[in-house]
Amino acid sequence: MHRLYIHPLPVRIWHWTNAVGFVLMILTGMQIRYVGLIDLVSFRTAVTVHNYVGFVLIANFLLWLVFYLTSDRIRAYHSELNPRKHFIGSLRQVYYYGFGIFRGEPNPFQPTIYRKFNPLQSMIYQIIVMLLLPVQIYTGILMWDVKRFSAQVDFFGGVRVIDTVHVLIFITFVFYVMVHVYLGTLGHTRLAHFKSMMTGYEEMDEEPAVEPAPPDGSRRA
Amino acid sequence: MGPKMDSDSALRKILPRFLTNSFAIAAVAALFTLLPTTASPALAADPAPAAADQQCLGCHGAAGMEKKLADGGTLQLHVPADAFVKSVHGPNTCASCHTDVDPTKHPPEKNDIASARSFAVSMTQVCRGCHTDKFEQWESSVHAALVRNGNPAAPICTDCHNPHAVIKDAATKLDQVPCKNCHTEIFTAYLGSMHAKSRIGSKDSYAPICSGCHTAHAVQPTSLGQGPEAACFGCHAGVLDAHQKWLPNAALHFEVVTCAACHSPDAQRKVDLMLIDGKGKAMGTEQIGIPLFDASTRSDSKGIDALTLWNLLQNLNRNGVVGNKTVLRGRLTVRTGPQAHQLADKSKALSDCRTCHREGSQAFQSVTISLVGPDGRRIGYGANADVLNSAFSVDSVSGFYAIGGTRIMLLDILLILAILGGGGIAVGHVTLGWLFKRYGFYHPYTGGHDKPPASGDGPKAA
Repeated sequence: MHRLYIHPLPVRIWHWTNAVGFVLMILTGMQIRYVGLIDLVSFRTAVTVHNYVGFVLIANFLLWLVFYLTSDRIRAYHSELNPRKHFIGSLRQVYYYGFGIFRGEPNPFQPTIYRKFNPLQSMIYQIIVMLLLPVQIYTGILMWDVKRFSAQVDFFGGVRVIDTVHVLIFITFVFYVMVHVYLGTLGHTRLAHFKSMMTGYEEMDEEPAVEPAPPDGSRRA
Repeated sequence: MGPKMDSDSALRKILPRFLTNSFAIAAVAALFTLLPTTASPALAADPAPAAADQQCLGCHGAAGMEKKLADGGTLQLHVPADAFVKSVHGPNTCASCHTDVDPTKHPPEKNDIASARSFAVSMTQVCRGCHTDKFEQWESSVHAALVRNGNPAAPICTDCHNPHAVIKDAATKLDQVPCKNCHTEIFTAYLGSMHAKSRIGSKDSYAPICSGCHTAHAVQPTSLGQGPEAACFGCHAGVLDAHQKWLPNAALHFEVVTCAACHSPDAQRKVDLMLIDGKGKAMGTEQIGIPLFDASTRSDSKGIDALTLWNLLQNLNRNGVVGNKTVLRGRLTVRTGPQAHQLADKSKALSDCRTCHREGSQAFQSVTISLVGPDGRRIGYGANADVLNSAFSVDSVSGFYAIGGTRIMLLDILLILAILGGGGIAVGHVTLGWLFKRYGFYHPYTGGHDKPPASGDGPKAA
């Protein structure tokens, strides 16, 4: 069994803070939106917790951003600019999750330090952390104090427009978190990916692929 | 009531008579001019009608004196002498105001007063002579707009101030305030408010009476614009800071929720959506003037629905300029005027977020769409409650939203689908894996090393 250190400490801190934060944001968001249907805590408490956790997640997002901007591991988030290559890779991954995995076929993607995301992960994580999460943070800040940011709220069409965008992304995140957790159980054991995200080391049956050298020779984080 | 008589026509009628009778009036006026210097000390000690007025009061002092008018009504001609001399007009004389009366030809042979109302309206120009500032304030009011619009019940000077018995500060006394004569229901509700109770409980109370919030003369329709909140904040300074200590987005609440919506806890609430043009002004019926709104008021109608409202706004903005469009400004308020005045002690004010921020909240079941009528008053047309929670509301009511209370049902459906989809993927995937193993389709890849499948209950992933 080979071990590959693919999740540095800052990334693990970011990930688990996000995990707890997302669950809290979803729960308090549900409470805020569905008073009467859900009555775990008061509306006011839910709003207060939602606001505080939101700011923690903003700080956490900045941690992620600073880490990757100062690390050569940002290559994990580099887009695959060859659409044919990306399409074929994605198709292989879809085939694997939809059929191959049931037959015991190997995962067509083998992670490396600089390529730890399979084509589907790469696409989805880029959409989430580079588009949806920033938009969610921005709309959340606007709704945190609508009057203070009224000029921007009005620019985008009003508070209901901002809220609708916030809720649509919230719904996407609810779906994402559920699928993300399930896909996390599809390692070589049910808990392998969870352990990997705790220790930083991914366990692999085979020798890790030869690392492509960083283009600028920069250090690894 | 008699026909409408506006202020200009009244003035045109009065001036010629004034000129033709100038000689007689000048003689009387000369006498009055001397009076203040000779008679004032005596009046101060023992008020009595001026000598020149004794002649007038000789007839007009008789109780029950009145005149039949052309419209079949009567004009009260009795002037109670005692009340007059004690009134703030006491230092004046009859001729100070009744400049058109020629003592040598009085009473006139021909009765040319059409109605008591037209006579009173014409006499407002006399009030204007001395009370110019107050008169101009009144001219800007909704009361004056109603008069100009021919409303026979709209108040003019003499409806609130009896010219022959006007007492200083009468309008600030609960038992004499004239507003209650027309706004009886509202005044009754006010008497139950903490404002009235404060005034009843202490003569030194500075709690407001009608004019404290609405002003005495420049009275505006409170349901337009921002309502009387400015008056509330005039006394309750720092109230925003107090609310910010416990109310999230307090400044936003202040903008879209009227004070009465929470501080009149027994009231029924509603959402009023006012059509605002690109310049920020409430739109008038003459700008819309379409049968859509009238149809919404039919008894069999549930009011304007979400799609109709969206289409209306699309039509209004079809030729609009970006950034200069017609919008709906929403406010949560109380349903009736009396409810707006039964303000309770702050300990009873609503502070439970659940009152509004939940599905089916009573506050969002009644919706009106407002325009400004020809007389300057708000005209509210009924709307279906779905204008607040339809997908169309994202565009048509984009500036008004209460979390939970006016949420869009389509988003709820999407959330349910997301949860079912996320859970379904996991359950479906596990089930498929089980079926593959159950029916022998699972052939673990050994990678050429001929190793057995990895231990654990999950599928092997290389």
